[in-house]
Amino acid sequence: MELGDLELANPVMPASGCFGPELAELTPVDTLGAVVTKTVFAQSRPGNRTHRITEVPGGMLNSVGIPSRGTTVFRDSGLGGYAGLGAPVVISIGGLSAQEYWQVVDELGACEHAAVEVNVSCPNLEHGGATLDTDLDAMTHVVSGVVARSTKPVLVKLSPQLHGMAAAARAAQDAGATAVTVCNSFPAMAVNANSRASELGNGTGGLSGPSVKPLALRLVWTAAQAVDIPVVGCGGIGSADDVAEFLIAGATAVQVGTATFAQPDVMPRIIGELPALTERLGAERIADLIGTLTIRSEDWQ
Amino acid sequence: MTAAGVLDVLAGDRSRPRCEQVSVVVNRELSDRYRLLRFRSAAISERARAGQFVMLGPLGRSAPVLPRPMAIYTRDADAGVVDIVYGVVGYGTRALAEMTEGDLLAVTGPLGRGFVIEEGVERVLLVGRGVGICAMTTVAQDLAPTSVQVTAVLSGRNRESVLGQDVLRDCGADVLNVTDANGSSAVDAVRERLVRRFDDDPPQQILTSGSERLTRLAADLGARWNARTLVSVEAHMACGLGYCHGCAVGNGDGATEAPLVCRDGPVFGLRV
Repeated sequence: MELGDLELANPVMPASGCFGPELAELTPVDTLGAVVTKTVFAQSRPGNRTHRITEVPGGMLNSVGIPSRGTTVFRDSGLGGYAGLGAPVVISIGGLSAQEYWQVVDELGACEHAAVEVNVSCPNLEHGGATLDTDLDAMTHVVSGVVARSTKPVLVKLSPQLHGMAAAARAAQDAGATAVTVCNSFPAMAVNANSRASELGNGTGGLSGPSVKPLALRLVWTAAQAVDIPVVGCGGIGSADDVAEFLIAGATAVQVGTATFAQPDVMPRIIGELPALTERLGAERIADLIGTLTIRSEDWQ
Repeated sequence: MTAAGVLDVLAGDRSRPRCEQVSVVVNRELSDRYRLLRFRSAAISERARAGQFVMLGPLGRSAPVLPRPMAIYTRDADAGVVDIVYGVVGYGTRALAEMTEGDLLAVTGPLGRGFVIEEGVERVLLVGRGVGICAMTTVAQDLAPTSVQVTAVLSGRNRESVLGQDVLRDCGADVLNVTDANGSSAVDAVRERLVRRFDDDPPQQILTSGSERLTRLAADLGARWNARTLVSVEAHMACGLGYCHGCAVGNGDGATEAPLVCRDGPVFGLRV
Protein backbone atom coordinates (compact mmCIF):
# COMPACT_ATOMS: atom_id res chain seq x y z
CA MET A 1 0.00 0.00 0.00
CA GLU A 2 1.30 3.43 -0.87
CA LEU A 3 0.07 6.90 -0.15
CA GLY A 4 2.60 8.78 -2.28
CA ASP A 5 5.94 8.26 -0.59
CA LEU A 6 4.28 6.83 2.50
CA GLU A 7 4.61 3.08 2.29
CA LEU A 8 2.27 1.07 4.49
CA ALA A 9 2.99 -2.53 5.44
CA ASN A 10 -0.77 -2.99 5.63
CA PRO A 11 -3.80 -0.74 5.12
CA VAL A 12 -4.77 -0.30 8.80
CA MET A 13 -3.99 2.80 10.86
CA PRO A 14 -5.77 4.56 13.71
CA ALA A 15 -7.99 7.59 13.27
CA SER A 16 -6.59 10.74 14.83
CA GLY A 17 -7.73 11.17 18.42
CA CYS A 18 -8.59 7.49 18.84
CA PHE A 19 -5.08 6.28 19.53
CA GLY A 20 -2.19 7.04 21.83
CA PRO A 21 1.26 5.71 22.68
CA GLU A 22 -0.37 4.33 25.86
CA LEU A 23 -1.72 1.50 23.71
CA ALA A 24 1.81 0.18 23.17
CA GLU A 25 1.54 -1.30 26.69
CA LEU A 26 -1.44 -3.36 25.61
CA THR A 27 -0.98 -4.38 22.03
CA PRO A 28 1.75 -4.65 19.33
CA VAL A 29 1.34 -1.24 17.72
CA ASP A 30 4.43 -1.83 15.56
CA THR A 31 2.23 -4.08 13.41
CA LEU A 32 0.08 -1.12 12.31
CA GLY A 33 0.40 0.28 8.81
CA ALA A 34 0.98 3.68 10.42
CA VAL A 35 0.09 5.55 13.58
CA VAL A 36 -1.73 8.88 13.47
CA THR A 37 -1.32 11.46 16.22
CA LYS A 38 -4.00 13.49 17.90
CA THR A 39 -4.27 16.80 16.05
CA VAL A 40 -1.41 19.13 16.97
CA PHE A 41 -2.02 22.87 17.12
CA ALA A 42 0.60 25.60 17.19
CA GLN A 43 -0.40 26.78 20.64
CA SER A 44 -1.47 25.03 23.79
CA ARG A 45 -5.25 24.73 24.07
CA PRO A 46 -7.43 23.21 26.80
CA GLY A 47 -10.13 21.50 24.75
CA ASN A 48 -13.85 21.83 25.33
CA ARG A 49 -15.95 21.96 28.46
CA THR A 50 -16.93 18.69 30.09
CA HIS A 51 -19.00 16.49 29.54
CA ARG A 52 -17.09 15.53 26.46
CA ILE A 53 -18.33 12.02 25.70
CA THR A 54 -21.63 10.21 25.60
CA GLU A 55 -22.87 6.99 24.05
CA VAL A 56 -25.84 6.80 21.68
CA PRO A 57 -27.28 3.67 20.04
CA GLY A 58 -24.65 2.38 17.64
CA GLY A 59 -22.14 5.09 18.31
CA MET A 60 -20.60 7.72 20.49
CA LEU A 61 -20.65 11.49 20.51
CA ASN A 62 -17.58 13.45 21.45
CA SER A 63 -16.92 17.11 21.95
CA VAL A 64 -13.38 16.77 23.26
CA GLY A 65 -12.34 19.83 21.25
CA ILE A 66 -8.74 18.74 20.63
CA PRO A 67 -6.66 19.76 23.62
CA SER A 68 -3.07 20.26 22.50
CA ARG A 69 0.15 21.13 24.25
CA GLY A 70 1.38 23.05 21.22
CA THR A 71 3.77 22.06 18.44
CA THR A 72 7.11 22.67 20.13
CA VAL A 73 6.21 20.66 23.24
CA PHE A 74 4.91 17.90 20.98
CA ARG A 75 8.04 17.94 18.83
CA ASP A 76 10.46 18.05 21.75
CA SER A 77 8.75 15.25 23.68
CA GLY A 78 9.50 12.54 21.13
CA LEU A 79 6.40 13.46 19.15
CA GLY A 80 4.31 13.11 22.28
CA GLY A 81 5.56 9.53 22.68
CA TYR A 82 4.82 8.47 19.09
CA ALA A 83 8.48 8.31 18.06
CA GLY A 84 9.86 4.83 18.53
CA LEU A 85 6.54 2.97 18.36
CA GLY A 86 7.86 1.11 15.33
CA ALA A 87 5.27 2.32 12.83
CA PRO A 88 5.39 5.29 10.45
CA VAL A 89 4.08 8.41 12.21
CA VAL A 90 1.43 10.55 10.53
CA ILE A 91 1.11 13.87 12.35
CA SER A 92 -2.37 15.34 12.32
CA ILE A 93 -2.21 19.13 12.25
CA GLY A 94 -4.84 21.75 12.98
CA GLY A 95 -5.25 25.50 13.16
CA LEU A 96 -7.79 28.25 13.45
CA SER A 97 -6.21 30.18 10.58
CA ALA A 98 -4.01 29.36 7.58
CA GLN A 99 -1.02 30.86 9.38
CA GLU A 100 -1.55 28.55 12.33
CA TYR A 101 -1.55 25.43 10.13
CA TRP A 102 1.62 26.59 8.41
CA GLN A 103 3.28 27.44 11.72
CA VAL A 104 2.78 23.83 12.85
CA VAL A 105 4.43 22.52 9.67
CA ASP A 106 7.31 24.96 10.01
CA GLU A 107 7.88 24.07 13.66
CA LEU A 108 7.73 20.35 13.00
CA GLY A 109 10.55 20.91 10.50
CA ALA A 110 12.70 17.90 9.94
CA CYS A 111 11.58 15.94 12.99
CA GLU A 112 11.05 12.27 12.28
CA HIS A 113 7.63 11.71 10.74
CA ALA A 114 6.29 9.96 7.68
CA ALA A 115 3.41 12.23 6.66
CA VAL A 116 1.09 14.96 7.83
CA GLU A 117 -2.69 14.81 7.86
CA VAL A 118 -4.36 18.22 7.64
CA ASN A 119 -7.45 18.26 9.85
CA VAL A 120 -9.73 20.65 7.97
CA SER A 121 -12.84 19.12 9.34
CA CYS A 122 -13.14 18.82 13.07
CA PRO A 123 -16.70 19.85 13.82
CA ASN A 124 -15.99 20.64 17.45
CA LEU A 125 -14.02 23.80 17.15
CA GLU A 126 -15.55 27.16 17.85
CA HIS A 127 -14.90 28.50 14.40
CA GLY A 128 -18.10 30.31 13.71
CA GLY A 129 -19.68 26.88 13.56
CA ALA A 130 -18.10 26.30 10.15
CA THR A 131 -15.23 24.03 9.25
CA LEU A 132 -12.51 24.97 6.80
CA ASP A 133 -13.61 22.59 4.08
CA THR A 134 -17.04 24.15 3.81
CA ASP A 135 -15.15 27.00 2.08
CA LEU A 136 -13.16 25.27 -0.66
CA ASP A 137 -11.11 28.36 -1.48
CA ALA A 138 -10.03 28.64 2.16
CA MET A 139 -9.19 24.93 2.27
CA THR A 140 -7.19 25.13 -0.96
CA HIS A 141 -5.26 28.09 0.46
CA VAL A 142 -4.35 26.17 3.64
CA VAL A 143 -3.55 22.86 1.96
CA SER A 144 -1.42 24.33 -0.81
CA GLY A 145 0.54 26.21 1.83
CA VAL A 146 1.08 23.02 3.83
CA VAL A 147 2.17 21.16 0.68
CA ALA A 148 4.64 23.94 -0.14
CA ARG A 149 6.17 23.82 3.35
CA SER A 150 6.25 20.08 4.00
CA THR A 151 8.62 17.58 2.45
CA LYS A 152 6.30 14.74 3.45
CA PRO A 153 3.13 13.29 1.93
CA VAL A 154 0.12 15.43 2.87
CA LEU A 155 -3.21 13.77 3.65
CA VAL A 156 -6.29 15.96 3.95
CA LYS A 157 -8.98 14.74 6.35
CA LEU A 158 -12.37 15.89 5.09
CA SER A 159 -15.56 16.35 7.02
CA PRO A 160 -18.64 14.32 6.11
CA GLN A 161 -20.12 16.72 3.61
CA LEU A 162 -23.03 14.75 2.41
CA HIS A 163 -23.52 16.76 -0.77
CA GLY A 164 -20.14 18.28 -1.47
CA MET A 165 -17.72 15.40 -1.03
CA ALA A 166 -16.70 15.08 -4.67
CA ALA A 167 -15.91 18.79 -4.94
CA ALA A 168 -14.08 18.83 -1.59
CA ALA A 169 -11.95 15.83 -2.54
CA ARG A 170 -11.13 17.38 -5.92
CA ALA A 171 -10.17 20.67 -4.28
CA ALA A 172 -7.79 18.82 -1.96
CA GLN A 173 -6.27 17.01 -4.93
CA ASP A 174 -5.88 20.25 -6.87
CA ALA A 175 -4.17 21.83 -3.85
CA GLY A 176 -1.52 19.13 -4.02
CA ALA A 177 -2.75 16.63 -1.43
CA THR A 178 -1.20 13.17 -1.60
CA ALA A 179 -4.41 11.53 -0.37
CA VAL A 180 -7.73 12.40 1.22
CA THR A 181 -9.08 10.83 4.41
CA VAL A 182 -12.85 10.34 4.26
CA CYS A 183 -14.19 11.20 6.74
CA ASN A 184 -14.23 12.83 10.17
CA SER A 185 -17.05 12.37 12.69
CA PHE A 186 -20.58 13.52 11.82
CA PRO A 187 -21.92 16.70 13.48
CA ALA A 188 -24.63 15.56 15.87
CA MET A 189 -26.18 16.07 19.27
CA ALA A 190 -27.80 14.16 22.11
CA VAL A 191 -30.55 15.60 24.28
CA ASN A 192 -31.54 14.58 27.80
CA ALA A 193 -35.30 15.02 28.03
CA ASN A 194 -35.33 14.90 31.83
CA SER A 195 -32.92 17.78 32.28
CA ARG A 196 -33.83 19.39 28.94
CA ALA A 197 -30.09 19.85 28.46
CA SER A 198 -27.63 18.64 25.87
CA GLU A 199 -25.67 15.59 26.95
CA LEU A 200 -22.42 17.27 25.91
CA GLY A 201 -20.94 20.33 27.56
CA ASN A 202 -20.30 21.81 24.13
CA GLY A 203 -23.91 21.35 23.04
CA THR A 204 -23.02 19.44 19.88
CA GLY A 205 -20.33 16.93 19.03
CA GLY A 206 -19.16 14.42 16.46
CA LEU A 207 -20.88 11.08 15.94
CA SER A 208 -18.67 8.05 15.30
CA GLY A 209 -18.89 4.29 15.58
CA PRO A 210 -20.78 1.51 13.77
CA SER A 211 -23.81 3.67 12.95
CA VAL A 212 -21.82 5.97 10.65
CA LYS A 213 -20.30 3.16 8.57
CA PRO A 214 -22.89 3.17 5.74
CA LEU A 215 -22.66 6.97 5.53
CA ALA A 216 -18.87 6.87 5.40
CA LEU A 217 -18.84 4.08 2.81
CA ARG A 218 -20.94 6.16 0.47
CA LEU A 219 -18.68 9.16 0.94
CA VAL A 220 -15.55 7.07 0.31
CA TRP A 221 -17.15 5.70 -2.85
CA THR A 222 -18.07 9.24 -3.96
CA ALA A 223 -14.58 10.59 -3.26
CA ALA A 224 -12.81 7.67 -4.91
CA GLN A 225 -14.68 8.30 -8.14
CA ALA A 226 -13.92 12.02 -8.02
CA VAL A 227 -10.15 11.94 -7.61
CA ASP A 228 -7.05 10.13 -8.84
CA ILE A 229 -5.21 10.33 -5.51
CA PRO A 230 -5.73 7.58 -2.89
CA VAL A 231 -8.64 7.74 -0.44
CA VAL A 232 -8.20 6.65 3.18
CA GLY A 233 -11.53 5.37 4.47
CA CYS A 234 -12.70 6.10 7.99
CA GLY A 235 -16.03 5.64 9.75
CA GLY A 236 -17.29 2.83 11.97
CA ILE A 237 -14.65 0.27 11.04
CA GLY A 238 -14.34 -2.48 13.65
CA SER A 239 -13.54 -5.71 11.80
CA ALA A 240 -11.57 -7.14 8.89
CA ASP A 241 -14.82 -7.43 6.90
CA ASP A 242 -15.37 -3.69 7.41
CA VAL A 243 -11.87 -3.04 6.04
CA ALA A 244 -12.67 -5.10 2.94
CA GLU A 245 -15.89 -3.14 2.38
CA PHE A 246 -14.04 0.18 2.46
CA LEU A 247 -11.32 -1.07 0.10
CA ILE A 248 -13.90 -2.41 -2.32
CA ALA A 249 -15.70 0.96 -2.20
CA GLY A 250 -12.46 2.62 -3.28
CA ALA A 251 -10.28 3.19 -0.22
CA THR A 252 -6.57 2.40 -0.45
CA ALA A 253 -6.15 2.29 3.33
CA VAL A 254 -8.40 2.70 6.36
CA GLN A 255 -8.46 4.32 9.77
CA VAL A 256 -9.98 2.67 12.83
CA GLY A 257 -11.34 4.97 15.51
CA THR A 258 -14.10 4.27 18.00
CA ALA A 259 -13.65 0.49 17.93
CA THR A 260 -10.31 0.80 19.72
CA PHE A 261 -11.99 2.19 22.84
CA ALA A 262 -13.88 -1.04 23.52
CA GLN A 263 -11.12 -3.33 22.27
CA PRO A 264 -7.66 -1.77 22.47
CA ASP A 265 -6.18 -4.64 20.45
CA VAL A 266 -8.72 -4.45 17.60
CA MET A 267 -6.30 -3.13 14.96
CA PRO A 268 -3.59 -5.81 15.36
CA ARG A 269 -6.36 -8.43 15.39
CA ILE A 270 -7.84 -7.06 12.15
CA ILE A 271 -4.40 -7.02 10.54
CA GLY A 272 -3.92 -10.65 11.57
CA GLU A 273 -7.20 -11.58 9.90
CA LEU A 274 -6.52 -9.83 6.59
CA PRO A 275 -4.63 -12.69 4.83
CA ALA A 276 -7.43 -15.19 5.42
CA LEU A 277 -10.02 -12.60 4.41
CA THR A 278 -8.14 -11.82 1.20
CA GLU A 279 -8.10 -15.49 0.32
CA ARG A 280 -11.78 -15.93 1.17
CA LEU A 281 -12.64 -13.04 -1.14
CA GLY A 282 -10.67 -14.64 -3.97
CA ALA A 283 -7.99 -11.98 -4.18
CA GLU A 284 -4.28 -12.58 -4.39
CA ARG A 285 -3.31 -9.47 -2.48
CA ILE A 286 -5.44 -7.25 -0.24
CA ALA A 287 -4.71 -4.34 -2.62
CA ASP A 288 -6.50 -6.20 -5.38
CA LEU A 289 -9.78 -5.42 -3.62
CA ILE A 290 -9.40 -1.64 -3.99
CA GLY A 291 -12.15 -0.04 -6.04
CA THR A 292 -13.66 -3.31 -7.24
CA LEU A 293 -17.22 -2.36 -6.31
CA THR A 294 -19.92 -3.24 -8.80
CA ILE A 295 -23.47 -2.01 -8.57
CA ARG A 296 -25.82 -4.88 -7.91
CA SER A 297 -28.05 -5.75 -10.83
CA GLU A 298 -30.44 -8.64 -11.16
CA ASP A 299 -32.56 -9.46 -14.15
CA TRP A 300 -36.09 -10.61 -13.56
CA GLN A 301 -36.39 -14.26 -14.47
CA MET B 1 -10.51 22.39 41.13
CA THR B 2 -13.99 21.09 41.83
CA ALA B 3 -16.84 22.49 43.88
CA ALA B 4 -15.63 20.21 46.66
CA GLY B 5 -12.02 21.37 46.82
CA VAL B 6 -8.69 21.62 45.04
CA LEU B 7 -7.43 18.43 43.40
CA ASP B 8 -3.72 17.59 43.23
CA VAL B 9 -2.30 14.98 40.87
CA LEU B 10 -0.44 12.36 42.88
CA ALA B 11 3.06 11.29 41.95
CA GLY B 12 4.12 7.71 41.52
CA ASP B 13 4.00 4.94 38.99
CA ARG B 14 1.06 2.85 37.85
CA SER B 15 0.83 -0.87 37.33
CA ARG B 16 1.03 -2.01 33.74
CA PRO B 17 -2.43 -2.71 32.29
CA ARG B 18 -3.52 -5.55 30.04
CA CYS B 19 -6.44 -5.98 27.70
CA GLU B 20 -8.10 -9.35 27.85
CA GLN B 21 -11.21 -11.22 26.89
CA VAL B 22 -12.41 -12.75 30.13
CA SER B 23 -15.38 -14.82 31.20
CA VAL B 24 -18.10 -13.84 33.62
CA VAL B 25 -18.06 -16.03 36.74
CA VAL B 26 -20.91 -14.42 38.69
CA ASN B 27 -23.39 -11.67 37.82
CA ARG B 28 -26.04 -11.26 40.51
CA GLU B 29 -28.04 -8.78 42.52
CA LEU B 30 -26.14 -7.40 45.48
CA SER B 31 -28.75 -5.03 46.90
CA ASP B 32 -31.93 -3.34 45.78
CA ARG B 33 -29.97 -0.99 43.53
CA TYR B 34 -26.70 -2.69 42.72
CA ARG B 35 -25.31 -5.82 41.10
CA LEU B 36 -22.02 -7.66 41.52
CA LEU B 37 -20.09 -9.01 38.56
CA ARG B 38 -17.12 -11.33 39.04
CA PHE B 39 -14.75 -12.09 36.17
CA ARG B 40 -11.72 -14.29 35.87
CA SER B 41 -8.34 -12.65 35.25
CA ALA B 42 -5.19 -13.87 36.94
CA ALA B 43 -3.18 -10.88 35.73
CA ILE B 44 -5.58 -8.14 36.76
CA SER B 45 -6.36 -9.74 40.14
CA GLU B 46 -2.64 -9.90 40.84
CA ARG B 47 -1.64 -6.46 39.57
CA ALA B 48 -4.54 -4.31 40.75
CA ARG B 49 -3.58 -1.80 43.40
CA ALA B 50 -6.03 -0.30 45.83
CA GLY B 51 -8.30 2.23 44.16
CA GLN B 52 -7.57 1.26 40.57
CA PHE B 53 -10.26 0.60 37.98
CA VAL B 54 -10.96 -1.37 34.82
CA MET B 55 -12.71 -0.53 31.55
CA LEU B 56 -15.09 -3.29 30.61
CA GLY B 57 -18.01 -4.21 28.40
CA PRO B 58 -19.70 -7.15 26.70
CA LEU B 59 -18.25 -8.45 23.43
CA GLY B 60 -20.26 -8.77 20.25
CA ARG B 61 -21.75 -6.76 17.44
CA SER B 62 -24.78 -5.60 19.40
CA ALA B 63 -22.71 -4.69 22.45
CA PRO B 64 -22.46 -1.09 23.64
CA VAL B 65 -19.92 0.89 21.63
CA LEU B 66 -17.98 2.11 24.65
CA PRO B 67 -16.66 0.19 27.62
CA ARG B 68 -17.53 1.50 31.09
CA PRO B 69 -15.10 2.46 33.85
CA MET B 70 -15.65 0.33 36.96
CA ALA B 71 -13.82 0.51 40.27
CA ILE B 72 -12.28 -2.75 41.37
CA TYR B 73 -14.44 -3.70 44.36
CA THR B 74 -12.34 -6.63 45.49
CA ARG B 75 -9.66 -8.78 43.91
CA ASP B 76 -8.48 -12.22 44.90
CA ALA B 77 -5.10 -13.09 43.41
CA ASP B 78 -5.26 -16.67 44.76
CA ALA B 79 -8.55 -17.38 43.00
CA GLY B 80 -7.65 -15.16 40.03
CA VAL B 81 -10.93 -13.24 40.12
CA VAL B 82 -11.99 -9.61 40.25
CA ASP B 83 -15.33 -8.23 41.48
CA ILE B 84 -16.97 -5.03 40.34
CA VAL B 85 -20.26 -3.50 41.53
CA TYR B 86 -22.57 -1.48 39.32
CA GLY B 87 -25.97 0.16 39.36
CA VAL B 88 -28.18 -0.38 36.33
CA VAL B 89 -28.54 3.22 35.24
CA GLY B 90 -28.23 3.30 31.46
CA TYR B 91 -27.53 1.58 28.21
CA GLY B 92 -24.11 0.16 29.12
CA THR B 93 -25.00 -1.14 32.55
CA ARG B 94 -28.26 -2.66 31.26
CA ALA B 95 -26.18 -4.67 28.81
CA LEU B 96 -23.86 -5.74 31.64
CA ALA B 97 -26.86 -6.85 33.74
CA GLU B 98 -27.94 -9.22 30.96
CA MET B 99 -24.66 -11.14 30.96
CA THR B 100 -24.60 -14.66 32.38
CA GLU B 101 -21.91 -17.04 33.57
CA GLY B 102 -19.45 -17.88 30.80
CA ASP B 103 -20.24 -14.82 28.66
CA LEU B 104 -17.21 -12.95 27.39
CA LEU B 105 -16.22 -9.47 28.49
CA ALA B 106 -13.55 -7.20 27.04
CA VAL B 107 -11.57 -5.86 30.00
CA THR B 108 -8.66 -3.44 30.16
CA GLY B 109 -6.92 -2.90 33.45
CA PRO B 110 -5.82 -2.29 36.07
CA LEU B 111 -5.92 1.43 35.28
CA GLY B 112 -5.21 4.77 36.90
CA ARG B 113 -3.49 5.94 40.04
CA GLY B 114 -4.94 4.35 43.15
CA PHE B 115 -4.95 5.18 46.85
CA VAL B 116 -1.60 5.27 48.58
CA ILE B 117 -1.45 4.82 52.35
CA GLU B 118 1.67 6.50 53.58
CA GLU B 119 4.34 4.90 55.67
CA GLY B 120 3.74 5.26 59.41
CA VAL B 121 -0.01 5.91 59.15
CA GLU B 122 -1.87 4.21 62.02
CA ARG B 123 -5.46 5.32 61.48
CA VAL B 124 -7.35 5.71 58.20
CA LEU B 125 -10.87 7.06 57.78
CA LEU B 126 -12.92 6.08 54.71
CA VAL B 127 -15.97 8.22 53.88
CA GLY B 128 -18.05 6.98 50.98
CA ARG B 129 -21.52 6.98 49.52
CA GLY B 130 -23.36 4.74 47.09
CA VAL B 131 -21.31 3.00 44.45
CA GLY B 132 -18.42 5.33 45.31
CA ILE B 133 -17.73 3.09 48.32
CA CYS B 134 -16.56 0.43 45.86
CA ALA B 135 -13.52 2.54 44.96
CA MET B 136 -12.21 2.19 48.54
CA THR B 137 -12.85 -1.42 49.51
CA THR B 138 -9.52 -2.56 48.05
CA VAL B 139 -7.77 -0.23 50.52
CA ALA B 140 -9.34 -2.19 53.37
CA GLN B 141 -8.28 -5.43 51.66
CA ASP B 142 -4.67 -4.24 51.62
CA LEU B 143 -4.75 -2.97 55.21
CA ALA B 144 -6.45 -6.08 56.65
CA PRO B 145 -3.19 -7.91 57.48
CA THR B 146 -1.59 -4.75 58.93
CA SER B 147 -2.01 -2.95 62.24
CA VAL B 148 -3.56 0.12 60.57
CA GLN B 149 -7.00 0.87 62.04
CA VAL B 150 -9.64 1.48 59.39
CA THR B 151 -12.89 3.27 60.16
CA ALA B 152 -15.43 3.44 57.36
CA VAL B 153 -18.41 5.78 57.19
CA LEU B 154 -20.72 4.23 54.60
CA SER B 155 -23.59 6.33 53.35
CA GLY B 156 -26.66 5.22 51.42
CA ARG B 157 -30.41 5.67 51.04
CA ASN B 158 -31.26 2.93 53.50
CA ARG B 159 -29.48 0.23 55.44
CA GLU B 160 -30.01 -2.41 52.74
CA SER B 161 -28.57 -0.25 49.98
CA VAL B 162 -25.32 0.61 51.78
CA LEU B 163 -22.58 -1.16 49.85
CA GLY B 164 -19.37 -2.65 51.18
CA GLN B 165 -20.46 -3.40 54.75
CA ASP B 166 -19.53 -7.08 54.66
CA VAL B 167 -16.27 -6.65 52.78
CA LEU B 168 -15.09 -3.91 55.10
CA ARG B 169 -16.06 -5.81 58.26
CA ASP B 170 -14.31 -8.92 56.93
CA CYS B 171 -11.21 -6.78 56.50
CA GLY B 172 -11.39 -5.73 60.14
CA ALA B 173 -12.71 -2.22 59.57
CA ASP B 174 -14.93 -0.43 62.07
CA VAL B 175 -18.05 0.29 60.02
CA LEU B 176 -20.49 3.16 60.65
CA ASN B 177 -23.57 3.07 58.44
CA VAL B 178 -25.37 6.34 57.86
CA THR B 179 -28.60 6.49 55.89
CA ASP B 180 -31.06 8.94 54.41
CA ALA B 181 -33.84 6.80 55.86
CA ASN B 182 -33.00 7.69 59.47
CA GLY B 183 -31.43 11.08 58.76
CA SER B 184 -27.96 10.04 59.93
CA SER B 185 -26.42 10.68 56.49
CA ALA B 186 -26.92 14.45 56.71
CA VAL B 187 -23.50 16.05 56.35
CA ASP B 188 -23.78 18.02 59.59
CA ALA B 189 -24.71 14.88 61.48
CA VAL B 190 -21.77 12.97 59.99
CA ARG B 191 -19.43 15.84 60.76
CA GLU B 192 -20.56 16.05 64.37
CA ARG B 193 -20.20 12.32 64.86
CA LEU B 194 -16.72 12.21 63.37
CA VAL B 195 -15.50 15.27 65.24
CA ARG B 196 -16.71 13.76 68.52
CA ARG B 197 -15.08 10.48 67.75
CA PHE B 198 -11.77 11.59 66.28
CA ASP B 199 -10.90 15.06 67.56
CA ASP B 200 -8.71 13.65 70.34
CA ASP B 201 -7.10 10.97 68.23
CA PRO B 202 -7.58 11.85 64.55
CA PRO B 203 -6.83 9.69 61.51
CA GLN B 204 -3.68 10.57 59.59
CA GLN B 205 -5.37 9.90 56.27
CA ILE B 206 -8.91 10.36 54.99
CA LEU B 207 -10.15 8.73 51.78
CA THR B 208 -13.44 9.61 50.14
CA SER B 209 -15.53 8.78 47.10
CA GLY B 210 -19.08 8.93 45.80
CA SER B 211 -20.51 12.22 47.07
CA GLU B 212 -19.57 15.82 46.48
CA ARG B 213 -20.96 16.87 49.88
CA LEU B 214 -18.99 14.16 51.67
CA THR B 215 -15.92 15.10 49.64
CA ARG B 216 -16.23 18.66 50.92
CA LEU B 217 -16.62 17.31 54.44
CA ALA B 218 -13.54 15.12 54.02
CA ALA B 219 -11.55 18.13 52.81
CA ASP B 220 -12.70 20.14 55.84
CA LEU B 221 -11.87 17.37 58.28
CA GLY B 222 -8.52 16.82 56.57
CA ALA B 223 -7.68 20.47 57.20
CA ARG B 224 -8.98 20.27 60.79
CA TRP B 225 -6.88 17.23 61.63
CA ASN B 226 -3.96 17.89 59.29
CA ALA B 227 -4.74 14.54 57.70
CA ARG B 228 -3.72 13.76 54.11
CA THR B 229 -6.99 13.54 52.19
CA LEU B 230 -7.51 11.66 48.94
CA VAL B 231 -10.58 11.50 46.73
CA SER B 232 -11.52 9.03 43.99
CA VAL B 233 -13.36 10.82 41.16
CA GLU B 234 -15.86 9.40 38.66
CA ALA B 235 -16.14 10.57 35.04
CA HIS B 236 -17.43 9.59 31.62
CA MET B 237 -14.54 8.21 29.58
CA ALA B 238 -13.96 6.18 26.44
CA CYS B 239 -10.41 4.82 26.62
CA GLY B 240 -9.39 4.69 30.29
CA LEU B 241 -5.76 5.30 29.31
CA GLY B 242 -5.60 9.02 28.51
CA TYR B 243 -5.64 9.26 24.75
CA CYS B 244 -9.34 10.04 24.22
CA HIS B 245 -9.23 13.06 26.57
CA GLY B 246 -12.87 12.50 27.43
CA CYS B 247 -12.56 12.69 31.22
CA ALA B 248 -10.92 16.02 32.04
CA VAL B 249 -11.73 16.94 35.62
CA GLY B 250 -13.04 20.45 35.03
CA ASN B 251 -12.59 22.90 32.20
CA GLY B 252 -8.90 23.73 32.44
CA ASP B 253 -7.34 27.13 32.96
CA GLY B 254 -8.02 28.56 29.52
CA ALA B 255 -4.69 27.51 28.06
CA THR B 256 -4.05 23.97 29.24
CA GLU B 257 -6.28 21.00 29.79
CA ALA B 258 -7.40 19.99 33.28
CA PRO B 259 -6.00 16.67 34.59
CA LEU B 260 -7.61 13.51 33.22
CA VAL B 261 -9.47 11.26 35.66
CA CYS B 262 -8.23 8.07 33.97
CA ARG B 263 -4.55 8.95 33.60
CA ASP B 264 -3.91 11.41 36.41
CA GLY B 265 -6.53 9.93 38.78
CA PRO B 266 -9.00 8.55 39.56
CA VAL B 267 -7.46 9.22 42.99
CA PHE B 268 -6.36 12.81 43.59
CA GLY B 269 -5.04 14.68 46.58
CA LEU B 270 -7.77 16.89 48.03
CA ARG B 271 -7.40 20.28 49.69
CA VAL B 272 -9.93 22.85 50.90
